Amino acid sequence: MQRALSAIFSREPFSASRNFLITAIFWLVFGTSIGLIASMQFTAPDALAGVAQLSFGRLRPVHINAVLIGWLSMGYAACMFYIIPVLVGRKGIWSELLGNITMVAWNVMMVVGIFGLLNGDTEAREYAELAGTVQMGSTSIQILDWIVLVALLLLAVNAWMTVMTGAEKKWYVSIWYFLGALFWFPIIYIIGNRAFVQLEGLNDAITGWFYGHNILGMWFTVGGVGIMYYLLPKFTGNPLYSHTLSMIGFWTIGMFYAPTGTHHILQSPVPEWLKSVAVISSVFLLVPVLTVLTNFFMTMKGKWHTATEHIPLRFAIAGGIAYLLTCIQGPFQATRSINWYLHFSNWVVGHAHLALLATFSFFVFAATYYMIPKMTGRKMYSKRLAVWHFWLTLYGWIIMMLSLTIAGLVQAAGWHHGIPVDQWVIELEPYWIIRSISGVMIVLGQILFMFNVYKTVFSPEQCEELPHSPTGVVYV
Amino acid sequence: MRINYFVAGGFVVLIFLVIIFVTTVLPASTFKPTATPAAHKYTPMELAGRNIYRREGCFYCHTQFVRYQDRESGEMVLAGDYMYETPHVLGTERTGPDLSNIGGKYADGWHRAHHDNPRKVKPGSIMPSYSYLTEKEKEQLIAYLQTLGAGRKMTSWVVPPQELQDEYEHVKAFVNVNSSAAANSGKGIFMQNCAQCHGMTGEGNGPVSATMIKKPANFTRPFYTQYSDAMWYYRVKEGVPGTRMPRWGKTLGREQMLYLVAFLKTLPKDTQTVQEEITSLKQLDNPVDLDDNYKYVDQAAERYGASRNEAFK
Ligand code: HEC
Ligand code: HEC
Ligand code: HEM
Repeated sequence: MQRALSAIFSREPFSASRNFLITAIFWLVFGTSIGLIASMQFTAPDALAGVAQLSFGRLRPVHINAVLIGWLSMGYAACMFYIIPVLVGRKGIWSELLGNITMVAWNVMMVVGIFGLLNGDTEAREYAELAGTVQMGSTSIQILDWIVLVALLLLAVNAWMTVMTGAEKKWYVSIWYFLGALFWFPIIYIIGNRAFVQLEGLNDAITGWFYGHNILGMWFTVGGVGIMYYLLPKFTGNPLYSHTLSMIGFWTIGMFYAPTGTHHILQSPVPEWLKSVAVISSVFLLVPVLTVLTNFFMTMKGKWHTATEHIPLRFAIAGGIAYLLTCIQGPFQATRSINWYLHFSNWVVGHAHLALLATFSFFVFAATYYMIPKMTGRKMYSKRLAVWHFWLTLYGWIIMMLSLTIAGLVQAAGWHHGIPVDQWVIELEPYWIIRSISGVMIVLGQILFMFNVYKTVFSPEQCEELPHSPTGVVYV
Repeated sequence: MRINYFVAGGFVVLIFLVIIFVTTVLPASTFKPTATPAAHKYTPMELAGRNIYRREGCFYCHTQFVRYQDRESGEMVLAGDYMYETPHVLGTERTGPDLSNIGGKYADGWHRAHHDNPRKVKPGSIMPSYSYLTEKEKEQLIAYLQTLGAGRKMTSWVVPPQELQDEYEHVKAFVNVNSSAAANSGKGIFMQNCAQCHGMTGEGNGPVSATMIKKPANFTRPFYTQYSDAMWYYRVKEGVPGTRMPRWGKTLGREQMLYLVAFLKTLPKDTQTVQEEITSLKQLDNPVDLDDNYKYVDQAAERYGASRNEAFK
């Protein structure tokens, strides 16, 4: 108990990063398992009938918040708290204790939030469901919104102070990306949760999708790309192909991502000019995406073959290719005529998993397999398990993606032929069975991943020592 | 060196603030649609129902957002419809049908049975069962659903796809579907090809129907008075995917299908209008016995003056 507490509220260098990572992996396993249960309800709707907490409408937000706010966001925090100090030449972040307190606050917030969601306490706004409603007289306050905001600000302050107190004064691109993400996200979060104003009707939808898209664009994308810009040169031993390209990417992401939200409600009766702004900036997103990817793939030059041996690099490459797919799909879907056909169908769910599971989760997997040995001074407990994790997750998402994409095309074809939705939905059963099978593979992969990390961190005697630790830090 | 960072940083902040202004503040201050007849302030009861709708996550499967290509969901929505919809429940996935115009489509008793176990009234449905809601919550939820799209006509619900409408315009000259001679020819074709499923009188109770989960349509329902000739033609030609209704366009000729149209359009009991059907169904609101799959159907059939098995007596 004493030891656990001192590990949690530790001041050791890199302890905040480690603690964030370990808890994030717990939310990963939890969140994907909930996704699996939710997916099974499409083919066995009566299996859990009568249990309010397990009905689809409640599990879906639990799944999304556990994987997005629990796993990915906390994983990003872990990566930032490792990468930033290394880049500015510090031993650990500005205040590890503050970092650890943020970590605890975040986890408490998640537990309270998930418990609330299961019991019907929700804001009912996509990607912003976490509520924690407290009744104060006649007004009700969603306290979790504020806790997330405070936690994000603490992250930002810690990252900023780390950069400011570091020895290295020239900022590597990753630092730009991280500080950008930490600047944008709190602002977007508070706008998205509409903490200050209640808007009417469609204006609420416009603001809601401003948030819904920017949590993806200004947080997950910017953070994930920042992580890769650090990892790829490390993995390959090549220098980053072009700093200029990476900075062009940074500025254009900031310019073109932010106004795209309305492409989620492209056919609703919102003002046409707003839709045009959204469509045009969505297509322009190809600029930052292509600069980022050119940079990634050119940095890989001459080193592609190393992926056979280098497991983290494998994750990174798979994630990079998925990023390419996502970002070709995205602008394509955002054009009016394509959106006309595909909107509301399962195609969109496929796209969401391509982006968040196949791309950004893979980036964090790569980072985890790189950082854990660095932080503990040991090799991963088992390379075999890591390989299994890779293949299960890779095939899992490919199968999931294919089944959802085909299901989406089937759905759209039926609807546009005037077949009522309730008659056509029966046709999708095979694809949903396949999605559940792929879900089993993915969840299994994540359990292996958790076990592997757990063993590496907590059973030092069963792991090989690293020959030497290049950053010179051996902790835990 | 440092100063450059601050200039650059200030530039990011500025651009970002401009974007926030353009995409959220500007619409919120200039986009002010006026309320349409379909928009309405919710009563406390309906509002409570709406909150249950949000709490149970109905909007993850149901949209409230009819686009012009969504033929089966009723009239397209207008900006003013959403005046009192705060927070919005437009939805992103269409696992189940759009609910913008659901109000008045079914009787309260249907919704109640549907919420308790969707599979009892809609075989093959994958909607979750909401039997765990309390009685009061069920009432509130139904009150909310019945307000949706209030005031919109039902007749625009059933329109065939444009290409079939065009085709029908082209072929309709071959047979006068309003003549009784054509209807008589159609009856013969119906007895040979359709009666085993749809029943001799078109009530959907032919012997083969016993083997089906998705029962054949009962053409005597007043609902079918809304069907245009082109719609009948479309349904017969293309069949009903996801059910055992064949695509007759594959086996029957153009004239045969037109004769069938002539016959089918005589079947609906037009003594009642759609609105009257709904009112009469509403009187059935005594609790539906869920153990009996057909009780509700039978009650409804009785009201139209026909029992399920009459055709076989
Ligand atoms: C898992 C997704 C899902 C969820 C969640 C869901 N539904 Fe459904 N719903 C469906 C499907 C699929 C159908 C079509 C089959 C049927 O009618 O049962 C449907 C049909 C309906 C219909 C009939 C529509 C029509 O035009 O025939 C109504 C009304 C309805 N749902 C209301 C609700 C309400 C109210 C809730 C929340 C308490 C809800 N649904 C939650 C999937 C869902
Ligand atoms: C194998 C059984 C079977 C046969 C034979 C059959 N039907 Fe059907 N029919 C169905 C089923 C099942 C439905 C779907 C009912 C539903 O959508 O709920 C249906 C639906 C229909 C509909 C659409 C009703 C609607 O709601 O739009 C029409 C029209 C129709 N049938 C006409 C015919 C005609 C005309 C024939 C003969 C040429 C025929 N059917 C033969 C089983 C059959
Ligand atoms: C880290 C991994 C994952 C991430 C980041 C993730 C993310 C998401 C997101 C963002 C959505 C919302 C899609 C939308 O906007 O419509 C979603 C929906 C969903 N996910 Fe996942 N997911 C992950 C893994 C899984 C797994 C393993 C399963 C199991 C099969 C799964 C099943 C589902 C289901 C059933 C839905 C609801 C789809 C619907 O409404 O029709 N997810 N997920």
